[in-house]
Amino acid sequence: MGVYCLGNECRRLPSKLVFVWLAGLLLSGLALAQSPATGESGQQDAVDGIPVTDPLVVAKCSGCHRKDEKGNLTRISWERTTPEGWQEVVKRMVRSNGLELMPDEARAIVKSLSASHGLAPEEAKPVMYMAEHTLPDEAYPTPTMRTTCGSCHAFGRPASWRRSPEEWKLLLNMHIGYYPNAEGAAAWRLTSLNPGDPGGTAAPPAKGPKLVDQAVDFLSKNYALHTPEWAAWRAKMRAPKLAGTWLVKGHLAGHGDFYGEMVVTPGSSEDEFNTAIKLQPVAGGALIERRGRAVVYSGYAWRGRSAGTVSGSLPGDVPAEMHEALWISTDESQAMGRWFWGSYDEFGFEVQLQRASGAPVLLALDRLSLKAGSQAQKLRIVGDSLPNQILPTDIDLGSGVTVRNIVSHTAHDVVLEVDVAANAISGKRDVVVGRAALSNAIAVYDHVDYIKVLPENSLSRLGGGSQRQKGYQQFEAVAYNRGADNQPNTADDIELGPVEVTWSVEEFYERFDDDDKEFVGSLSGTGLFTPALDGPNPQRKQSRDNYGNVWVVGTAKNEKDQLGKPLVGKSYLVVAPPLYVIWDREIDQ
Amino acid sequence: MKHLRPINKKAQRIDDHVASLTEDVFAMQGENTPTPGMHVPTGCSFVFSPGWEVDAAGGAAGLCAPVERDIYDCWFSCYWPAQVPDHLNNAPDWTAKCASATKDWRNLDLVFP
Repeated sequence: MGVYCLGNECRRLPSKLVFVWLAGLLLSGLALAQSPATGESGQQDAVDGIPVTDPLVVAKCSGCHRKDEKGNLTRISWERTTPEGWQEVVKRMVRSNGLELMPDEARAIVKSLSASHGLAPEEAKPVMYMAEHTLPDEAYPTPTMRTTCGSCHAFGRPASWRRSPEEWKLLLNMHIGYYPNAEGAAAWRLTSLNPGDPGGTAAPPAKGPKLVDQAVDFLSKNYALHTPEWAAWRAKMRAPKLAGTWLVKGHLAGHGDFYGEMVVTPGSSEDEFNTAIKLQPVAGGALIERRGRAVVYSGYAWRGRSAGTVSGSLPGDVPAEMHEALWISTDESQAMGRWFWGSYDEFGFEVQLQRASGAPVLLALDRLSLKAGSQAQKLRIVGDSLPNQILPTDIDLGSGVTVRNIVSHTAHDVVLEVDVAANAISGKRDVVVGRAALSNAIAVYDHVDYIKVLPENSLSRLGGGSQRQKGYQQFEAVAYNRGADNQPNTADDIELGPVEVTWSVEEFYERFDDDDKEFVGSLSGTGLFTPALDGPNPQRKQSRDNYGNVWVVGTAKNEKDQLGKPLVGKSYLVVAPPLYVIWDREIDQ
Repeated sequence: MKHLRPINKKAQRIDDHVASLTEDVFAMQGENTPTPGMHVPTGCSFVFSPGWEVDAAGGAAGLCAPVERDIYDCWFSCYWPAQVPDHLNNAPDWTAKCASATKDWRNLDLVFP
């Protein structure tokens, strides 16, 4: 580009200067690539490495990553990461450093390093959103980390690694060699952030450690190579024993809650499994059947894929193939994660699994709330191994809720008619059927006080005009009660479940003649946002692409505020240009 | 304004207009929602001038217009390495099929490193 920006100030550099600058950075990058082979990374005396014992990894990697007398390979022995992290490393070695591997060898190396140099379950859980390919409201630990790392990518990327202090410095050097603009654009050389600047980039020079050094220091202390969690997991790690039936409950945005089972059978090796999945909407609907296979890395990191019949032709309908990322609890009794699909993995079931033990279990309800004073309300409770005989007295829905009648029941569900007292206290209640219980499963409320449109911040990507596909976004509207403190938008508010709304898009006024709403895309009656085509749009000023930022608005059909106006919820949507490169890939299997 | 309530449509429009001027980039769904600094969806590159998904103010008004006009500079200088392939290491031939990005942008490959 020939433009160098520091904070909000940008300068265009002469092309010759750009060439000299880039050439210098390229040479510095080559020098960095050589350092591991020559063993110049001095930290390796200060921190014990983790030896590499797998003959395949040693054979394929030690040509460049020199082996010492303790069995450590330079760089590799001072790093730990997720399966996705090791896959990215292996791909980069093949792409940039001339490593030659057969696909089976690459998979075996990723498996091996994920076991010997992986993350402990407790370390992996906070960054599962990276493997699940969701866009949560990511929490940056400090403003400095937000600026130095989060400027270019999610903080989940560095948080997916554990390294020695010297390794964190070498990662920084790698960035400067591979992506030289990061140095200026992410404000690495500044020493402090200007609190008045929302981007956190513009700050006058000051004495003290540079932001980048502060970041390396932070990562070295908080994402260290050796941790108690990893020490414990290295001792405890074993081949997963996951065969059997697992009960599943899941939520698919825009489609509601699902329940079912996943039957797991052993695969071709002790860490591989085959699956047969059945899912049904809790509110009733067609059965979804799928078959799949999965690899469990590091003893707990389930990465799989499944195939089955498609549920429809609309974006967001269950497709022929989907990916799976699960975190298995260390006692192998529960699992949680996401089964996802889409060009940007934007669609997916949020799932929770538990082993079927044969004991009665409750999984989900077809509604999440009951209004105080309502009578003869139907309620369906789904579960597993429910008893043959169930009396109204066996069922407890908490204070103020009376079971009037059991309409029907099987081993997998109970349908009730319930009455709710007019003076029932608003709040969540446990649902109990015999010996089975589901905590905080249903709420009683006197009034819907406000609604939220979820997700509260979201990202859609233009596409369809080129090789880049559209990145959709599904919205949901959820009702809330103000809770015991009588104040809305506080911690004790009670979620009441989905609410019927009319969807619309409103302008987010950012500039005087803002017109994004007319171009960014369309919102369906079910809350599915379909972005417009990518590419220049001659209809817009400056042939601007169809990007923009808008409010997605849900207006309640039935719920009103104290003035009699329909309740309204809003969500901030960024409709962005497409990605031309996709780094965060699922595990190849 | 806190003590005034619109009683007809015109007054409501004034109310809405004032609200539109005072709202910021947060997905505020309630009066007490905390607003700790700029807030953009995870994964957005925002700090560059401009950013890829959002600009330094968290909006879209300051993005390149159109994106395709400037995209070869992004590729050449590794300007948005998380969003656009870079010519230094990972995609040196990315522009081979496309002489002018403004015209032939459809030919640009989607890269999976």
